[in-house]
Amino acid sequence: MLWTMAVRNLWRNRRRTLLTMSALMVSVALLILSLGIFSGMFAAMLASATQQYHGHMVISVPAYQDRRQLHDSFPYSRQLLDRLRERDEILGAAPRLRGFGLVSRAGRTEAGELLGIDPGREQQVTSLNRMLTAGVFPSSGQGNWVILGRGLAAKLEARPGDELVFFTQAADGSIGNDLLQVTGIFATGDFTRDNSLALVSLDWLQQLLVLPGRIHEIALALRSPMSAAKLVPVISGQLPPELEVYDWGRLLPEMQEVIASYDVSRFILMLILYAAAGLGVLNTFYMSVLERVREFGVLLAIGLKPAAIRNLVLLESLLLGMLSLLAGSGVGVFMTLLLSGRGIDLSRWISSVTYAGGTIPPRLRTELVVDNLLLPGLVLLLVCLLAGYLPARRASRLQPVAALRGD
Amino acid sequence: MDLLRLAWRNLWRNRRRTWITLAALAFSIMLVQASHNLSSGVYAQMIESGVRAGSGHLTVYRSGYLNSRDEKLSFDPRGLLPDLARMPAVEAVLPRLHLGGLAQSSRESRGIVLTGIDPGKEALINPFLRRLPKDRQLPDGVSRKALLGDRLLRELQLKPGGKFVVTLQNRQGEMISELFRVHGVIHTGMRELDRSLVMIGRQRAAELAGVPGQVHELALIMKDAGQPAAVAQLRRLLAAERDLRLVFWDEAMANLANAIKLDYASQKFIFLIILMIVTIGVVNTLLMSVMERSREFGTILALGARPATLHRLLFLEALIVGSVGLLLGTLFGSLATWYLVAQGIDLRHWIDSELEFGGVVFEPVLRAVWDPLWMLQIGLYVVLLCVAAALYPAYRAGRIVPAVAMRH
Amino acid sequence: MKIPPLALTLCWSLLLLMPLPRCYALDLPALIREVETRYQGASSHALVTMEIRTAHWQRSLQLEIWSQGRDRFLARIKAPIKEQGVATLKVDQEVWNYLPKVDRVLKIPPSMMGGAWMGSHLTNDDLVKANRIDRDYTFRLLEEDAQGWLIEALPKPDAPVVWGKLLYRIKRTPLVPVLISYFDEEMVEVRRIHFNRVRQIGERWVPLRMLIEPLEKQEQTLLEYSEIEFDLPLAATLFSVRSLKRH
Repeated sequence: MLWTMAVRNLWRNRRRTLLTMSALMVSVALLILSLGIFSGMFAAMLASATQQYHGHMVISVPAYQDRRQLHDSFPYSRQLLDRLRERDEILGAAPRLRGFGLVSRAGRTEAGELLGIDPGREQQVTSLNRMLTAGVFPSSGQGNWVILGRGLAAKLEARPGDELVFFTQAADGSIGNDLLQVTGIFATGDFTRDNSLALVSLDWLQQLLVLPGRIHEIALALRSPMSAAKLVPVISGQLPPELEVYDWGRLLPEMQEVIASYDVSRFILMLILYAAAGLGVLNTFYMSVLERVREFGVLLAIGLKPAAIRNLVLLESLLLGMLSLLAGSGVGVFMTLLLSGRGIDLSRWISSVTYAGGTIPPRLRTELVVDNLLLPGLVLLLVCLLAGYLPARRASRLQPVAALRGD
Repeated sequence: MDLLRLAWRNLWRNRRRTWITLAALAFSIMLVQASHNLSSGVYAQMIESGVRAGSGHLTVYRSGYLNSRDEKLSFDPRGLLPDLARMPAVEAVLPRLHLGGLAQSSRESRGIVLTGIDPGKEALINPFLRRLPKDRQLPDGVSRKALLGDRLLRELQLKPGGKFVVTLQNRQGEMISELFRVHGVIHTGMRELDRSLVMIGRQRAAELAGVPGQVHELALIMKDAGQPAAVAQLRRLLAAERDLRLVFWDEAMANLANAIKLDYASQKFIFLIILMIVTIGVVNTLLMSVMERSREFGTILALGARPATLHRLLFLEALIVGSVGLLLGTLFGSLATWYLVAQGIDLRHWIDSELEFGGVVFEPVLRAVWDPLWMLQIGLYVVLLCVAAALYPAYRAGRIVPAVAMRH
Repeated sequence: MKIPPLALTLCWSLLLLMPLPRCYALDLPALIREVETRYQGASSHALVTMEIRTAHWQRSLQLEIWSQGRDRFLARIKAPIKEQGVATLKVDQEVWNYLPKVDRVLKIPPSMMGGAWMGSHLTNDDLVKANRIDRDYTFRLLEEDAQGWLIEALPKPDAPVVWGKLLYRIKRTPLVPVLISYFDEEMVEVRRIHFNRVRQIGERWVPLRMLIEPLEKQEQTLLEYSEIEFDLPLAATLFSVRSLKRH
């Protein structure tokens, strides 16, 4: 009964209802949009670190991630990789071997980090193959190709087609040296990486470092990177005991901190926007209660309890909140999706910003995250109930006779 | 004037509604003003610590040095220094020499960046040096005492007072080694810097590098950053030195500048949303009051008033709401700003380290600065928005048909 | 980042060519100079076996080494096959490596030349400072007996050395070093070099075996001379980048 009455009351003053709803809708929609923008920014930042280099999760022997010693390697098992790939949460798994040494061309010698990869599998984990500024990404896990970071290529004055020498000490203490052929140049926007990283084939590096059949890490790409930490114990269970799983939060603690602090700012932002919108709801309901004094009087006179009147008004505000939420979320999600593809290029105004181990690209791009819908929705309904409470209490305290008289 | 009085009286006929609308307006204005002032303060703080720890408000480099960091691009500043120091707008000129090299202890060796500084000047400006006690400062430009980043100290397994040898290739191509002793330890909070920084006196660094008297950068700390007259004067001064370039901090520290731009852009976006929501609230209030008074308006129209009069009435009401909101909001905004200027937000209760932003580390006490012009500007925007919010309600009011309204 | 240029490992053996005494008085600097730097201006040619043992691997290298004075030095790997022909040239302060597999010469950047390199237990300090020992240190006789001397070398206040002190144990007849100990500033012993298998080569007595032992790790490097000759007429062009590529 109360529901029908609540619906009818809202319907009776459609314009006011719509106006109040519009304020709430705009708050919800823009809140969802701005949270989407922030999520997009953090996703880009995280992606810059994970999809350009680390992966969302890394498997290695425990000592390796801290010290990166050549000897902390483990045997490469394709079965293990395939087993990992079968999991639904894992989008890709790539084996890697890493070596530090001197890269030289025509009298120029620079220190560099060589990452031995299997191009087919690497593409499932990182997006370096889409960041080439020159040349092509190789398709084969063999051969002496090398993809250089832009800065490193500039220091060596190397272009696709040029030959380089790599020189290092292999795992057996011997001198490792071989020729590499530049097939491509990548640019991630991250200064350190572009200046020292070079990709080579896994087989080639295994031979050079005399680490046949061994790798330093398996990098994983996850379906939902933000829940990487939850997946750690699950993956650990599938691994031989000498291997350890590192999620990106452990590899990049500064970034995890930044993203955690974002949860706080998200909440503050929401409260501010809702405070402004909530005052509007409060206003509307006072109006509507004052307008309907006579009507409430009648209801009280025919025996409706004051509590029922209060509930009626609360129900109306809740209903209003739900309707606005529905419509606002729709608009918000629509706008978020609109900006989630290519986004808006801002490179005319700013260049990329390096922050907390990641890089924020100059592009306004949103990311739709369920969390960004749930919490704002719940809090909005709460705000509506809160804003409805004062008018509801007032309505329930009316004296029938006085009310009927129309004071 | 009568219309104004009428508008005023109309507003106060429904006190509660007006107050709530005013509260929403004032709240938003306060919020926007206070957070703008706070972030202006924080940005200024970041820029200030950035330029003081880094390359100054303005920097003089040889062309190409900023991008290539080629050690050969040094220059002799001796002809320039007295003129620069004489400029009233310049607080300090910090000449520096940056040299790549190798530091060795009896246990380990690490690649370092050896920075030659003028200790006396630098100690007054650089926040990391200012934090050092007096007896840990470098005594002069020629001593063998050095300041090391704390990570570097740990990795070399050194202790304060311990010795280490720096080896580098001088301009003549020779490998030169020299002994230094750890005099003070610096913690900047930036990992790369803390593991590579070695500061020594500039004369010794220049002798070591085989370029006596030369520097790579002149960091200029200005009394009033961005003064166009001072910049023009600097440009004139540098015009004689064809190879030298004057670089602003936002180019020399592009990362910080971009981080601030990005942060401020997202803040502006939020301001925009808040103002939109508030405007809708004002439209709502005005429209409700129009609907409520349709009978009254009908009467006025029936008595021969033109719809334009009603329009004016409603615009006046909106103007009053906006102006009172502006006053109240600015009052609260000023109070909040006053608190944020005087007390600030001390984050040290929550975090024990410094804050890093855009590659700059600064004290975790966030302080606002006054920006009265901006406060006024945002207030005027709100008033304008209120007047704009009256457009639709006024249109509705003007279309009231007297007969229908009276019947209501 | 640690880069392992063989350069230094090879270069270090230069030190081995130096300690050859003839006359001795109790002028300590002169004594140490005799022990450390007698080969200034002279030349040498040697075949050396170098055995390196680390926590992860051990290996053995056959080297052929030429030197002229302190500043010119050329070493070429004879075995194992995999690294045959790899050569290192040091002229003054510059170091080049020749890699026959790729037929390229690499100049080692100055910043990469210092330090204790991965795999070897030798530092740039040993190489560059060996020829300045009597300039950088003051000496004190601690013990003297029929066997020889124990001499303490303390760095001069501003000398660019990382050590707190060195201890030289020197044998009287023939005049050769037995042991050099390296201490840090807190006088903790950090490293030792043992010399033995003293043989007479021409007029000189040379310890043909040298063992370098960092004391904080279970690792070592052993150098052993199988052949050595002195004062040969070596062409100056031998120590050039061009001749590095020949062979």
